[in-house]
Amino acid sequence: MTWSATARGAHQPDNTAFTQQRLPAWQPLLSASITLPLFFCAGLAFIGLGLGLYYSSNGIKELEYDYTGDPGTGNCSVCAAAGQGRAPPPRCSCAWYFSLPEFFQGPVYLYYELTNFYQNNRRYGVSRDDAQLSGLQSALRHPVNECYPYQYSAAGLPIAPCGAIANSLFNDSFSLWHQRLPGGPYVEVPLDRTGIAWWTDYHVKFRNPPLVNGSLALAFQGTAPPPSWHRPVYELSPDPNNTGFINQDFVVWMRTAALPTFRKLYARIRQGNYSAGLPRGTYRVNITYNYPVRVFGGHKLINFSSISWMGGKNPFLGIAYLVVGSLCILTGFVMLVVYIRYQDQNDDDEDDE
Amino acid sequence: MDCTLVRTLLHRYCAGEEDCVDSRTVYVGHREPPPGAEAYIPHRCPDNRIVSSKYTFWNFIPKNLFEQFRRIANFYFLIIFLVQLIIDTPTSPVTSGLPLFFVITVTAIKQGYEDWLRHKADSAVNQCPVHFVQHGRLVRKQSRKLRVGDIVMVKEDETFPCDLIFLSSSRADGTCHVTTASLDGESSHKTHYAVQDTKGFHTEEDIDSLHATIECERPQPDLYKFVGRINVYSDLNDPVVRPLGSENLLLRGATLKNTEKIFGVAVYTGMETKMALNYQSKSQKRSAVEKSMNVFLIVYLCILVSKALINTVMKYVWQSEPFRDEPWYNQKTEAERQRNLLLRAFTDFLAFMVLFNYIIPVSMYVTVEMQKFLGSYFITWDEEMFDEETGEGPLVNTSDLNEELGQVEYVFTDKTGTLTENNMEFKECCVEGHVYVPHAVCNGQVLPAAATIDMIDASPGAGGREREELFFRAVCLCHTIQVKDDDEVDGPRKSPDSGKRCAYISSSPDEVALVEGIQRLGFTYLRLKDNYMELRNRDNDIERFELLEILSFDSVRRRMSVIVKSATGEIYLFCKGADSSIFPRVIEGKVDQIRSRVERNAVEGLRTLCVAYKRLIQEEYEGIYKLLQAAKLALHDRERKLAEAYEQIEKDLILLGATAVEDRLQEKAADTIEALQKAGIKVWVLTGDKMETAAAACYACRLFRRNTQLLEVTTKRLEEQSLHDVLCELSKTVLHCSASLTRDSFSGLSADVQDYGLIIDGAALSLIMKPHEDGSSSNYRELFLDICRNCSAVLCCRMAPLQKAQIVKLIKFSKEHPITLAIGDGANDVSMILEAHVGIECLLHFPSVFVPVLLWVFTTDPVRHCLPDSLQHQLHLPPHPAAQPDGAARRHGHTQEGSCPLQRHRQECSPLLAGVHLLDVLRRVRCSGVFLRCLLHV
Repeated sequence: MTWSATARGAHQPDNTAFTQQRLPAWQPLLSASITLPLFFCAGLAFIGLGLGLYYSSNGIKELEYDYTGDPGTGNCSVCAAAGQGRAPPPRCSCAWYFSLPEFFQGPVYLYYELTNFYQNNRRYGVSRDDAQLSGLQSALRHPVNECYPYQYSAAGLPIAPCGAIANSLFNDSFSLWHQRLPGGPYVEVPLDRTGIAWWTDYHVKFRNPPLVNGSLALAFQGTAPPPSWHRPVYELSPDPNNTGFINQDFVVWMRTAALPTFRKLYARIRQGNYSAGLPRGTYRVNITYNYPVRVFGGHKLINFSSISWMGGKNPFLGIAYLVVGSLCILTGFVMLVVYIRYQDQNDDDEDDE
Repeated sequence: MDCTLVRTLLHRYCAGEEDCVDSRTVYVGHREPPPGAEAYIPHRCPDNRIVSSKYTFWNFIPKNLFEQFRRIANFYFLIIFLVQLIIDTPTSPVTSGLPLFFVITVTAIKQGYEDWLRHKADSAVNQCPVHFVQHGRLVRKQSRKLRVGDIVMVKEDETFPCDLIFLSSSRADGTCHVTTASLDGESSHKTHYAVQDTKGFHTEEDIDSLHATIECERPQPDLYKFVGRINVYSDLNDPVVRPLGSENLLLRGATLKNTEKIFGVAVYTGMETKMALNYQSKSQKRSAVEKSMNVFLIVYLCILVSKALINTVMKYVWQSEPFRDEPWYNQKTEAERQRNLLLRAFTDFLAFMVLFNYIIPVSMYVTVEMQKFLGSYFITWDEEMFDEETGEGPLVNTSDLNEELGQVEYVFTDKTGTLTENNMEFKECCVEGHVYVPHAVCNGQVLPAAATIDMIDASPGAGGREREELFFRAVCLCHTIQVKDDDEVDGPRKSPDSGKRCAYISSSPDEVALVEGIQRLGFTYLRLKDNYMELRNRDNDIERFELLEILSFDSVRRRMSVIVKSATGEIYLFCKGADSSIFPRVIEGKVDQIRSRVERNAVEGLRTLCVAYKRLIQEEYEGIYKLLQAAKLALHDRERKLAEAYEQIEKDLILLGATAVEDRLQEKAADTIEALQKAGIKVWVLTGDKMETAAAACYACRLFRRNTQLLEVTTKRLEEQSLHDVLCELSKTVLHCSASLTRDSFSGLSADVQDYGLIIDGAALSLIMKPHEDGSSSNYRELFLDICRNCSAVLCCRMAPLQKAQIVKLIKFSKEHPITLAIGDGANDVSMILEAHVGIECLLHFPSVFVPVLLWVFTTDPVRHCLPDSLQHQLHLPPHPAAQPDGAARRHGHTQEGSCPLQRHRQECSPLLAGVHLLDVLRRVRCSGVFLRCLLHV
């Protein structure tokens, strides 16, 4: 090739470590005495880690209730039947009673869980306008085409927030009541609904459009709420730091789940007497039943859970570590057996030469 | 590509006229033949423009893109990119487009630059001035304006602008010297002869008055074949018809040497010259890895397609329930609802293709290409391969074959010039049983052995004395050496004691060595003048012999003869050749004594030649003359007829004596061979030398060891037994032993491994390769291969160049498909080098100077052979031209002596692994750079 002819020509090559390939390098010779201990050590370390993860995951308590309202499963079936076939369904309330025989170690998190809901569908997943959600004035008036068919309302107004994700915002609400003594009054357990979104989402990614005359409502003037919504986006909450695009329920919903069965954080219980956990007694969860899931064969669940140092309940990670660790040890044993069994023969072969 | 296109176009264009004619007629100087002559059909011939560039300014972009996208990988990525552009895909087109365009652009820039260089070279060649003879005057024109039939004048050290028929030269004897170094790598001078009837035309006016036509064959790529006929018309009588052979043809690309100027007439021009035809016909070597990776690519493509297909089907099964296809929270657009189901399925399929396209990673291609590029630089950077004398390091012809170097299983090496230095030294001669050693000075060094052997005055009788002088004269006369008078020849060997500086030039270094040796014994060859050879005898008298005929050397006869007439009118035929070709033709002389001496010398690894003579009387000579003339005039089958004539002439000889010439081994050749064998690489020596000499060299370089059991398949043995029996017997020995070997090695009993070495000669090999009457040739081949596989070393002697390539091919296509490497020097190895996977060419730059320079050319592209040396990719192994691919391996011998893990590994594992270990060796001595295996080519 001409390049080599022209590039080098008749010049003395450089005597550097690089060109003469004298750079230090490690070329391991993997013999049995190195490999076998390596396998056993790795196996033991994995098993130890796996056991730790597994038990701490198992130590996490969970309490779950399916309130979809399949016929004969508690009082939410009334609501489910009432909402059948109607969209949007009428407001309906139901309740779930449960009792804790012993103290539920905190901090306690309240989740809602949906099944068979494909937030990971591509058409669904791209149907949002991040520019609009970050408060850009122009995007507010002109949502991107991905939002279609939730781009413009029937009246031709731009939808804010646009897209299928925002339109399908989960709109059931829960309140938790505690009855300390049998027959006693129910006391409302305070739910902290503010610190549930990612910090970056809440502070960076989601921004309201600039206020017009100090009013958020005016800022959203000329836009329409998504068709499934009962109220405009600026009325999601009375708290000015939790309304509009930075409403934390909304922010949590907009971070789409990767699997069709997913949980989203609804609230944290960390106030008053309940900061350490839920004491014994009977509880009632009041549910505002709005969200239709039976049309697509889904379920909705409510879920109390505590967390540990490794996060929420997740036995898989521990199990995976255990399996890999035991495989390592097993392989190590097999290789050890092979090594001991055929070692002599190897020596003989070497003697031959 | 372009060339073929041009050719096909030409053919189509000229089809009407040329289809029925397989020869062409050239009017010398565009003069119409006299009306009486046959009516010739004129032909269209291309002009003398050489096009080696691939692209023009206009077609560069489309053509280069087309060529790049013909690579399966590039095409695949292009398709993926286009799909991403067209449909709504999950990944952005940038992710596959950016690397693709990076690769394409870089390659295009590289190729464009190379082509620009080629354009520059082309136009330099096409515009370089050429001297035409027009109307008796010299005209300077651009080379590309040259047409067939033009008469051209070429001066010394100029290259011929096209293929010329040599009409006349400034030398009185009508010869000229030519070096074809840039055509076939042979740097020695070759002699060409002017047409007898035109060699008298020395001036432009003379030559312009020449009235002749030339008939010759259609352009053919074979450099050494040319058959034609010239009709010279003169006013008086019938046209004189002379045969033309390759000795009359001056090839484009060759350079005129030692001749002031010549005149020639163009017969083949431009892309029809033999050089250009050779340029076109070969394809580029591709590494075996690349080929297999292309197969893998197709396999992965199939996996990809089936994966996408399955996923599409599963998608539609899954979304057959309406609430999955379109739940309330995820409504479709109107357009989507109305799209054709098939179209939807197809775009879904494409989307899946795009999703899974990472199964074939584009980044790997880029990385691999970069690393190969770097790897080739590491070779060029290597200090160990830098030659300080010429100031040149290795140059890599292609980076595509780097990784093959690490997988070589078979090394084919030439003996002369590769294992040995090709630096001949006259050792001794033997006349009628008396041994003569030339006077002890050899290039300023005293030969230590000189004193111990009989000296010249071992005083034979008077008749003996006569024979002795006849022998010296024979050696002095029977050669094709040219004497170069001035001292500016490249690579001359100065004659030590003559007063004026003169140098011998010959195509064979043996001849030079012989003539110089004889010079030290008292007879000096002076020159060839006006067909008289002059030599100075011991008494310092000048003797003149008229040179009547030269029966030139060829590799089939393995001998040459001259017929000379002494001053006293006696006619002698002197014949010189290999012992096997001389002894059967000898009727007189001390055959037994000489034969024993020859055999002794051969065992010592000397190259021996026998000299014989015959005295002819005038009538005999006339008969011979007629015979030769008839053969030379034949237009068809000339070679066969000549050979027959030679056969008839060279018989009933009287044996005079024998000579011995030493060709020393390259430094460290033995270490290299040993290291290669330790690494489990099989080394085959392919040589044209005689068996004993070659075997001695093999012992010297430790290819054969003391305990090696030699198996022979030679002509001698085949005379006693049939080929079938020999092969069966050998295979029984070898296979039985290897079977017992494997058993023993498991039970730990075998003491030491029996080494086998196979010796086969050319004749036996051609028997093996020859297809049988019943077409069952494969039996012998298989048997032969079986034997070879179990031999650690194979020596093939008496090989013709083509047979060398045959052997390489045989191994290359045997069922294991091993990677082969061929090393050689000079023209007789070119076919072998081209045939092997990796070719290394070590050109002996100056064959007759004591500079053991090796140039290694990694050939992939035979075109490089046709380019000047400076463009070639030369791997120099300077201070110690150890013969092997890797002078590298030679040092391995030192570093690894104690425990040789290499050896142990080799016996346990597959050939591929052995390759890896060779790689280690190579890397250890930092000789070979980074070689990558399992790579692909973008």
